[in-house]
Amino acid sequence: MRNDLRERRDRADMSQADLAAAVDVTRQTINSIERERYDPSLELAFKLADHFDCRIEDLFFPESAD
Amino acid sequence: MTETALSAKERVASRRHYRRLMFGSIAVAVVLSLSLRFLDYPLIGEAVYWLGIVGFAAAAWLSPVELFDERDNEVERRASQTTLGVIGVVLVVGASASRTLAALDIYTMPAAVWGALYGYVLVFVVFGVAYTWVSRRS
Repeated sequence: MRNDLRERRDRADMSQADLAAAVDVTRQTINSIERERYDPSLELAFKLADHFDCRIEDLFFPESAD
Repeated sequence: MTETALSAKERVASRRHYRRLMFGSIAVAVVLSLSLRFLDYPLIGEAVYWLGIVGFAAAAWLSPVELFDERDNEVERRASQTTLGVIGVVLVVGASASRTLAALDIYTMPAAVWGALYGYVLVFVVFGVAYTWVSRRS
């Protein structure tokens, strides 16, 4: 699944470690999501969307949504 | 084990600390245990080994934070699948080759090899039981 996480994190001027701490996962998890190697659970996706004050579909989109 | 009192930074530091404690206690215990066995102190070596096991379990139990997140669990799940796949191939090919070679009077596998293959069978039996148990609870 594609995502907008890196851009949103950069805009918020946060490091991966900061974001990881904010949603209580490891920095490696944030890194894997940003590199689109790992699709988060629905729960984590909600946490991330909540953190950036947006909807899940603003943050994550399927490969077909080009 | 409550997490509410910890700040985000403390949670990260705590996770790192307890994970190091877990794996460190096992690693140190194994090295010490092997050394003691080599130096002809097998019982003390065994005691040190168990201290390491207890340290591992205690660090996991006493940690105030979750030590493994969902990606860790996913990595573990994929690694387990790969492991089972490799064991499955070795079991299928190894058992068949052993039977065939013995039937053709070419080579009889040592009992140790058959022991290993039966050990692999046991792994799949345990997996089947665990799978059934987990699937009924899900």
